[in-house]
Amino acid sequence: MAENKKPKKREYAAFSLKDNLKEIGTTFATGDWKTKLSFLIMGFGPLMRGQIVKGLLFLFCEIAFIAYMIGFGAKYMVKLPTLGTVETQKIGRKTVYGDNSFLILLFGILTVIVVAAFILVWRMNVRENLIEETALKKGKALPSNKKFLASLLDENFDKTLLALPCLGIFVFTVLPIIFMICVAFTNYDKNHQSPTNLFTWVGLQNFRELFSFGSSGFGGTFVTVLIWTLIWAFLATFIDYFLGLAVAMLINKKGIKLKKLWRTILVLTIAVPQFVSLLYIMKMFGNDGIVNGYLMKWGWISSPIPFWTNPTLAKVMIIVINIWVGIPYMMLIATGLLMNIPEDLYESARIDGANPFQMFVKITLPYMLFVTGPFLLTQFTGNLNNFNVIYLLTQGRPQSMKLVGNAGYTDLLVTWLYKMTVTETNYRMAAVIGIMVFIVTAVISLIVYNMLPSVRDEEGFQ
Amino acid sequence: MKKGLISLVMAGVLTAGLLAGCAGGAAPAAAPADAAPAAEAAAPAEGGSGSGEIKIWVADNVVDFTTKRAAQFMEEYPQYAGYKVTVEPVGEGDAAGNMITDVEAGADIYAFAQDQIARLVSAGALEEMNPDLLDAVTTENDPGSVAAATVGGKVYAYPLTSDNGYFLYYDKSVVTDPSDLDKILADCEAAGKNFYMEINSGWYQTAFFFGTGCTLTYDTDDAGNFTACNVDYASDKGVIAMKEMIKVKASPAFQNGSAAGEATNLAAIVDGTWDAGTVKELFGDNYACAKLPSFVGDDGNTYQLSGFGGFKLLGVKPQTDENKLEACDHLAGYLAGEASQQLRYEEVGWGPSNLKAQKSDAVQADEALSALADQLQYDIPQGQYPGEYWSLATGLGDDIIQGNLNPDSSDDDIMKALQTFQDTCISYAK
Amino acid sequence: MKEKKTASMSRKRAISNFFAYILLVIISIIWLFPFFGLIMQSFRSYLSEYGGMVNYIIPKNFSLDNYRFLFSGETNFVRWYTNTVVIALAVAVLQTLIVLCVSYALSRMRFRGRTFLMRFWLVLGMFPGFLTMICMYFLLKQFGLTQAGAVPGLILVYIASCGMGYYVCKGYFDTIPKALDEAARIDGATRAQIFVQMIIPLSKPIVIYTALVAFLAPWCDYIFASYVAFGNDKSYNVAVAMTRWVWTNDYQGYFTRFCAGGIMVAVPVTILFMCLQKYYVEGVTGGAVKG
Repeated sequence: MAENKKPKKREYAAFSLKDNLKEIGTTFATGDWKTKLSFLIMGFGPLMRGQIVKGLLFLFCEIAFIAYMIGFGAKYMVKLPTLGTVETQKIGRKTVYGDNSFLILLFGILTVIVVAAFILVWRMNVRENLIEETALKKGKALPSNKKFLASLLDENFDKTLLALPCLGIFVFTVLPIIFMICVAFTNYDKNHQSPTNLFTWVGLQNFRELFSFGSSGFGGTFVTVLIWTLIWAFLATFIDYFLGLAVAMLINKKGIKLKKLWRTILVLTIAVPQFVSLLYIMKMFGNDGIVNGYLMKWGWISSPIPFWTNPTLAKVMIIVINIWVGIPYMMLIATGLLMNIPEDLYESARIDGANPFQMFVKITLPYMLFVTGPFLLTQFTGNLNNFNVIYLLTQGRPQSMKLVGNAGYTDLLVTWLYKMTVTETNYRMAAVIGIMVFIVTAVISLIVYNMLPSVRDEEGFQ
Repeated sequence: MKKGLISLVMAGVLTAGLLAGCAGGAAPAAAPADAAPAAEAAAPAEGGSGSGEIKIWVADNVVDFTTKRAAQFMEEYPQYAGYKVTVEPVGEGDAAGNMITDVEAGADIYAFAQDQIARLVSAGALEEMNPDLLDAVTTENDPGSVAAATVGGKVYAYPLTSDNGYFLYYDKSVVTDPSDLDKILADCEAAGKNFYMEINSGWYQTAFFFGTGCTLTYDTDDAGNFTACNVDYASDKGVIAMKEMIKVKASPAFQNGSAAGEATNLAAIVDGTWDAGTVKELFGDNYACAKLPSFVGDDGNTYQLSGFGGFKLLGVKPQTDENKLEACDHLAGYLAGEASQQLRYEEVGWGPSNLKAQKSDAVQADEALSALADQLQYDIPQGQYPGEYWSLATGLGDDIIQGNLNPDSSDDDIMKALQTFQDTCISYAK
Repeated sequence: MKEKKTASMSRKRAISNFFAYILLVIISIIWLFPFFGLIMQSFRSYLSEYGGMVNYIIPKNFSLDNYRFLFSGETNFVRWYTNTVVIALAVAVLQTLIVLCVSYALSRMRFRGRTFLMRFWLVLGMFPGFLTMICMYFLLKQFGLTQAGAVPGLILVYIASCGMGYYVCKGYFDTIPKALDEAARIDGATRAQIFVQMIIPLSKPIVIYTALVAFLAPWCDYIFASYVAFGNDKSYNVAVAMTRWVWTNDYQGYFTRFCAGGIMVAVPVTILFMCLQKYYVEGVTGGAVKG
């Protein structure tokens, strides 16, 4: 791939902590007074050397950081080790809330990250001084402010484009995930609910609870739910894949007319919001729904079929209804791809006397599997966390005494996690389960990823 | 790679800036402890005046009624007119869940079913009753409802209704004898119609267990924590109850459910007064109500079905402003008072817990409420149960519905299931 | 000889096509049946017939009662609908912009930390979204974007992390020859100019695909939207408000009303989808191959 990626200049690149410290030291020792003052007042050097924009940016960072720490961050960070000690009190009939462990944890984490980021910015500030001084010593002119700003639309355009998305992802994805990982090590549950009650660090206790296999321990339930999650993801992915492929080939068949109509009928499933269609289907198969209603009216059955209350039947129903949901996607994808298979492959196979089935196994399937390998992986991980189908159809029910923590036989880890959060407000166990979901997804992805030759070389695709 | 962190770092710094910027606005809200002195300073010494917003959560069908009554309250008590009342439709189940998730953002006054009270107290979502109102509330309402509003010796909520119990609705043209469960099932089978009872609910299930004389109660401490469990399900009495449930389930007429609005082909249903209107519409002239039936147990004795007598309560959440708390207390007291209960019965049919309202002619003449009153004699006032109990009971019921426990199960199997149930119940009290 | 063979082949094909048609008709019936039922139930009157479950599909009397109910002001249905439309439109526009920016940067530019960023986002994507729900709720609450402010709050949450969903769009950009960029750069165009004036116009299908997918998602959020609205009826979207009609016992006999509301939601969304189906197919197929 042609890419104007010259070998990176390594002269300022220092990777180890030791090198970093050494460079900071020498910058200070050899630098002029402007550089030396920059160690305290960030951006001072660049400002004095005419690099107004960069200088102001550094200065702004420092001021913002100090304001943040004094006005907000510091008081949360100091309480991070205990997550608060001041209890809620009653003064007369008035309630005076004490420390809010939740906010202490959340903003404590944020502050730690902000401090780390500030140190990095400070480091950049030091290096900027070094770069400028070296350039000036060599007699080179520093780039003008205008040029620096213009570069944000040209060679530094990536920074402009990515700044906002990265900020959003940091605040609404990274920070919450770090927070919830920390919650897994606390006792934050319904008995330790902010702001009335405090919660605190408990180490690995929640993980021990997840793997305890007593009568009320989470172990047995976790294993049951995990196994069903894996079975579900496997069946949902592959049944839909092959049936979708079959339907696509059926519609693509030579001589079939109204291709567009058939496709449009199927695609309706994608267009109609799932909460409408799936809730209707759930009601349709209920004990009092029309399916049982008609079957009984026609005298085929005497009592309703327990579609949702029998665990095995409920699982089968979910998989079957997921076919209804999943086939159209696969059909759309397969339709496009099937047309890409060179026709002469089939032609020569036909001359060799291959029957349609042989052609499917020898040509179509290998091609499709090769091309859609990554898609299958994303489908699989998507199905591991397929909340809508399960929750709209059964909400994880039916339950049993054999399962703890409000789990049901059709619960996936992710729906269980949801119930744990919303119905039980057992955040600590929800966090532990969330981490488990991550581990399962990551392990499976890693294994499959390494088995797929086509994904590894990203540039090879282009 | 390390060098490449720059973009992330920049993002981080921007965040810092942003949050520092917003910190000014967020900090007071984030730290109510700091804000408290300010509120104190602003508080006038006497009179219960003040201003602000009072948010009320009630079920959708009483939103209009509650709004109207709140407006009347403001007219009658102009000293609280500084408060603006908003009423939102949040069902009793959602209200409790939301209050526990975030007390601060929750409603100031909210209705809930009394089984939630222990959870709400331990999450700090309920304020103790105003001592000025305590006497009136405890004497004017029926004792069961006051007991239901009490946790650890303290009254936490205002009884709203005394109708959270269940009894039998039936179709006169189908069911000939509503006092015998076996006959009801036989009549339904013969007519090809359905008998509904939600046996996988911890609430309806107790009809059988309490009916044969089993007990299941929890002791709570002042903070709403469960300290002990008194249970004897794993006994001969429990086995008789279980066997009857299995027998009922085996009937082709049986349907698991308690929502009349979702029932098909209905001939009889164990349900509460809130469905009276729906059932009346369904049955028309054949509409009838009765106390729950009795059944002949495996041992040949006859048992009358029992159950929970339950109550809806109105709670006030803890406030950081004493004036507002006072206003909330009085408003809640008003909304749960005799006049409101009487009117609420007339408008939406909720059975009052207020003794005087219960004695009114209209209430006395109500078929559903009098059936409930008959049944309540056999019922156990519903105490406090941990949240896990309800899902455990659903599990037990589901085991019957799924056929894990069926007419072929031996007494030992049933006993084993009950033993697990009992042990798990006990494990919830720590 | 040869003619005979083609004749037998075409007969064979005719027979197999006959079965194919039968199969297709059966499939179509299965796929359409729920929608047929939904439409029929929505015309069953709450007042003159029954609003709950019945054991027949075709209502005895067709009536528009349920639709009248939705728009009668007895509920905030119109408000919920408006909320959802506002959210969906805002998300469609903003998410498309962000995804385009991220995709361009990742596809066209080579900068330090690029691979790291992509891997990091991939790993982040493996955490289940519901895990962070409670934390997001309290974050939004700090900004005052819950309850009454739920609509802007939801828009913010939906678009905040959408940069991570760049795969399909980047895959499309990757197929645009880089020689075009190089030529433009030699002519003195900046990166920003190339992006706005060249790449975006070339990417119409993917822009429409991204916007369409972004537009559809908010219609089905009944989980997080319910958290953020936190009991504030006026801030609900249609999904939150209407799932209550099915799940909560307070709303018995609302089933036909749910069906009517469902039709009100499904029809416009479906029409839009059908009009843009071509682009959707292109996006989905491209995305599948790129992974």
